[in-house]
Amino acid sequence: MGNYFDGTRRGRRRDAAVAGGFLLLAVFLLLLPASYQSPLRSAIRGTALRPFLAMQAELAERRVRSEDVSQLRAERDSLAAVVAAQASLAEENRRLRGLLGLRGRAQPEFRPAELIRAGVPGAESTFFIDIGAKEGVVVGSPVLAPGGLLGVITEVDEHTAQGIDWTHPHFRASAMTSDGDATGIVEPRRGRFREEDLLTLTSAPFHTDIRPGTRVVTTGRGGIYPRGIPLGTVVGIDEADTGWRKSYLLRPAVRPEGVTHVIVAIQREGQGGDLSPLWQPDEAADTGTTAAGTAAEGQRP
Amino acid sequence: MTSGRNWPFWVLVGGLVVGHFLLHLAIGLGATAPDLLTPAVLLAARRTRGSVAAGIGLGLGLLQDSLSLDAFGADAVTLTILAYLGSRSRDLFVGDSAVFLLVYLFLGKWLHDVIIYLLSGMPGQDESLIWLLVFAPLAAVYAALAGVTAMAAYRSVSGER
Repeated sequence: MGNYFDGTRRGRRRDAAVAGGFLLLAVFLLLLPASYQSPLRSAIRGTALRPFLAMQAELAERRVRSEDVSQLRAERDSLAAVVAAQASLAEENRRLRGLLGLRGRAQPEFRPAELIRAGVPGAESTFFIDIGAKEGVVVGSPVLAPGGLLGVITEVDEHTAQGIDWTHPHFRASAMTSDGDATGIVEPRRGRFREEDLLTLTSAPFHTDIRPGTRVVTTGRGGIYPRGIPLGTVVGIDEADTGWRKSYLLRPAVRPEGVTHVIVAIQREGQGGDLSPLWQPDEAADTGTTAAGTAAEGQRP
Repeated sequence: MTSGRNWPFWVLVGGLVVGHFLLHLAIGLGATAPDLLTPAVLLAARRTRGSVAAGIGLGLGLLQDSLSLDAFGADAVTLTILAYLGSRSRDLFVGDSAVFLLVYLFLGKWLHDVIIYLLSGMPGQDESLIWLLVFAPLAAVYAALAGVTAMAAYRSVSGER
């Protein structure tokens, strides 16, 4: 090997100073507020990493074409059913409100999207979707899978967006039991392996007992998630906190690793909407059968 | 500094970087594929000045960071430090045998994961010991083997000893 170094002490000192400058720049970038980091991230993704992201979208498209058609059709139909049920319910609701002389209540619209995972360290529990600001996606748009809530959008580019799923440590959702008896905050609970990740309903009142099998849905409070989106099903009690609060473990309604297609709820500020009817359980509630799923069955050829 | 005759080596480094994003991002293999970015930085660092190595580490770290929502800059800091240390390691260790490279890449990748952990705290606190002593070393072995294999392929093609 050749001599790659300037052996003089002065040269080394200069070298260390330049390297120190690079390190300071890196530390500066690390400490930048998130709002300043976001455009930098977008710029790098939109230039240097653009070919790889485009290739992933292309490969995902090809994979979809070669995958089991019936499974994909079921997934697509379920999502279509959610949208279709939403449309018919909205129409019915509009007519009834008209009969009662009430003003129309705003409901979110939906956009279908393909989900892309980065697969690099540091991007765990995050995903990209192939629609962005041009299609109406905004920071805070809920991302839904056929079973319920998958996550939320946290960063939006022109034609792509990045979000976190419910396994991300920052995920929180205001939640209640489907009968409305108990409320709390749902947050992720990490398992030893990612496949064992669960959700917990925290801060539930101590005096209420929530039976295993009870469905937990979003409350619609906070302006992020519309009301009535399934989050999970109670598995059992997690911990009782010194006589004031209880936490319950939930089996998530959606396993993120299996999701390839989603719908994104496009809602304007201050417009919540109630999506409960889309996932109303039928008599076999514990089997996870939903109105949307049933509607999807009816649509299949 | 590097000489003009070294361009095949830089093709190898470029290939590792492209391969990393191809496997992890384009194909989406995740942890199934080895980390090729850290070996690329560590190998490049052995042939450049500390300042150049740190610049390479910063640039490649930012590429990786652009996919992270939580700790933008963590990989840039880590790879800048690693690259500089890797460059200065030539003062202490001379030689490029396969065994040396394996140990060098293993320690480099492990140190990378430890620094990243300290900066971004990826796993939960409860599992940190298991992660640092079991999963991180396994990932380091995987990355080191991939780096040594790539280097062996490069040497067989370029005829470098």
